[in-house]
Amino acid sequence: MSDSKKKPRRSRKYAIETYDLWKTYKTAYEEVHALHGIDLKIKNGEMVAVVGPSGSGKSTLLNMIGALDRPSKGRILIDNTDITRLKESTLARFRNRKVGFVFQTYNLIARSKVEKNIELPAIMSGTTKKARKNRVKDLLELVGLGGMQNRKPNTLSGGQQQRVAIARALVNEPTFILADEPTGNLDSKTGDEIANILIKINQERKATIVIVTHDLELADKTQRILHLRDGKVEKETEGFSYPMKNFKDK
Amino acid sequence: MNLIELFKLSFGALNERKVRSGLTVLMVVIGVALMTSLNGLGAGMDNFIDDQLGTLGANILIITPSDSGTAFGPPQETPETKLTSQTVQTIERVHGVEHVIPYYTGVVTMRSSGEEKTVTIRGMDMDKIDYIAPNAELESGSLVSTTDSVGMNLGYYIAYPSDLDKPFAKRGQSVTVEYTLVEMEGDREKLVVEKKSFQIKGIFNETGNMNLDNFAYISPAAANALFDKKGVYDGIYAITKDADDNEVVEERIRKIYGKNIGIISPKALAETIKDVMAQFTGFIGAVALVSMFVGAVGIITTLYTSVMERTREIGLLKAIGYSNRTILIMFLTESIAIGLLGVVLGLLAGAGGAYALVQFLMQSDPEAQSSSQSGATMSPVFRPTDVLEVFLLAFILSVIAGLYPAWRASRLSPITALRKE
Repeated sequence: MSDSKKKPRRSRKYAIETYDLWKTYKTAYEEVHALHGIDLKIKNGEMVAVVGPSGSGKSTLLNMIGALDRPSKGRILIDNTDITRLKESTLARFRNRKVGFVFQTYNLIARSKVEKNIELPAIMSGTTKKARKNRVKDLLELVGLGGMQNRKPNTLSGGQQQRVAIARALVNEPTFILADEPTGNLDSKTGDEIANILIKINQERKATIVIVTHDLELADKTQRILHLRDGKVEKETEGFSYPMKNFKDK
Repeated sequence: MNLIELFKLSFGALNERKVRSGLTVLMVVIGVALMTSLNGLGAGMDNFIDDQLGTLGANILIITPSDSGTAFGPPQETPETKLTSQTVQTIERVHGVEHVIPYYTGVVTMRSSGEEKTVTIRGMDMDKIDYIAPNAELESGSLVSTTDSVGMNLGYYIAYPSDLDKPFAKRGQSVTVEYTLVEMEGDREKLVVEKKSFQIKGIFNETGNMNLDNFAYISPAAANALFDKKGVYDGIYAITKDADDNEVVEERIRKIYGKNIGIISPKALAETIKDVMAQFTGFIGAVALVSMFVGAVGIITTLYTSVMERTREIGLLKAIGYSNRTILIMFLTESIAIGLLGVVLGLLAGAGGAYALVQFLMQSDPEAQSSSQSGATMSPVFRPTDVLEVFLLAFILSVIAGLYPAWRASRLSPITALRKE
């Protein structure tokens, strides 16, 4: 698996695969390896946490698999497509269709209503207005904000705003959801609610979810925890708080 | 992606910063309005001068006693030539001069059936009126003959003033005029009021010629007596064979009288006014052009600030899959929206401004005011080519102004944009 020359196996089993992933930043004096040859596979429908201390390469890894940045070396397969070779405009299209981002600071557009915020990715992908409306309605029900289409983000609590952001991430039915410290700005109770929504989406909608966090309590609620240190996967553990009852391994 | 959806997003962003967007629009409006009103005023002025020239015979030289009339700058003491029958004979003999029409002028108070009016009276040979105003036509009655000492012809706006709802005077009725002249009694000046009655022999149709429409005419002999001119004319019309001869004839007369006489060629005068006007509008036009560029810089500043403020938003849009091109178009749309709104409002404001300017010019100049009463009004003219030119210029400038901020926005990396707190 660590042999980068080996041709990646085509498979529908994995949503995300990386092979010998390196990211090197050049400073004036030295080369810094943010990622040190990472190999990982995330199955379709899996819920995974990536944890590690600051500077472990968490964010860099997130940028790589979110197609926001390119690796210095190695391959990233999303849905069996090698995204490291895509040109910028195709990459944008790829992010639009395959990735759903959830950020620590929600990143909602303050002037726009909840509905507009959620449908932003769908506008870009050219979904019809009617289809968008239905989808927004459905997603708001899913995240427990039914009927709040016309609210402005600043009239919502932090937890509610993050729910809107989750709905936005889901609107184009992406291959996976990439959440960057989704509970980082929330109190523990609200954080739990967000975690439960993510679990619900994972279990009910079979959505693949990758959470980058240093909140170990949140990580413990996922199926698998990847511990990053110095740009490498140091170890893998199981999350003990992940509710097993509904989950079926594919 | 749907272009309409994209426009909606752009307008949403503009709408969020109403004051700033509005002020930027205002910057564009000012430049466009300035240019539009100036163009309108300049074209209107040209038309006005051409109209006036059209009502006046082009082959006319107006000879006045002194040369101060046409010169720009402070009035100077200039030598005067007394315009007498002697002068008339001299000018008649100048090669190229066809007719010579001397005239007396005086301002009187005229009374007619209870109404009172200040009127300029001109005493001249009315049989030759056609040479001066080729389109002069009597509405009714007859011209005053040179031997008639009580007959009077009225210009259209004397008989039908725009500030009266009934005619001031009718044909056949008589009017009284009062003329105040200064007499010397030893060393002391004494004001003498002359009173005389005249009979209206005929009334002219409206000609558009400011003089003819606003003057009353009597015979030269009657004017000489009324104004106590003692045979000294106020001016002489010299009619040349052809308008093209004006210059040569002017030179010939100058040879005789030197600088001691005033010679005005209405044609040359019109050209001079047009030239001065063109220079003036050209200068202000340059200022207007600069203000349009300032408006463009305003757009750059506003949008650039907006891009800086919205780095997170742009980062988010890129993260959720908006392409560089889409973001470029979004910001360009904002600058085009500002530009278009500015141009449209500017054109409207400029048109309004041109009318206001004309009104202002007419009011500040009493002579022009009387003419505005008389219907010979100047109105701004908006040539489609001028309007299109301003429109395109402002539009293109706003697109260019939007390019840099839009390009900056499209090049923002989603990672750094999202990281920024």
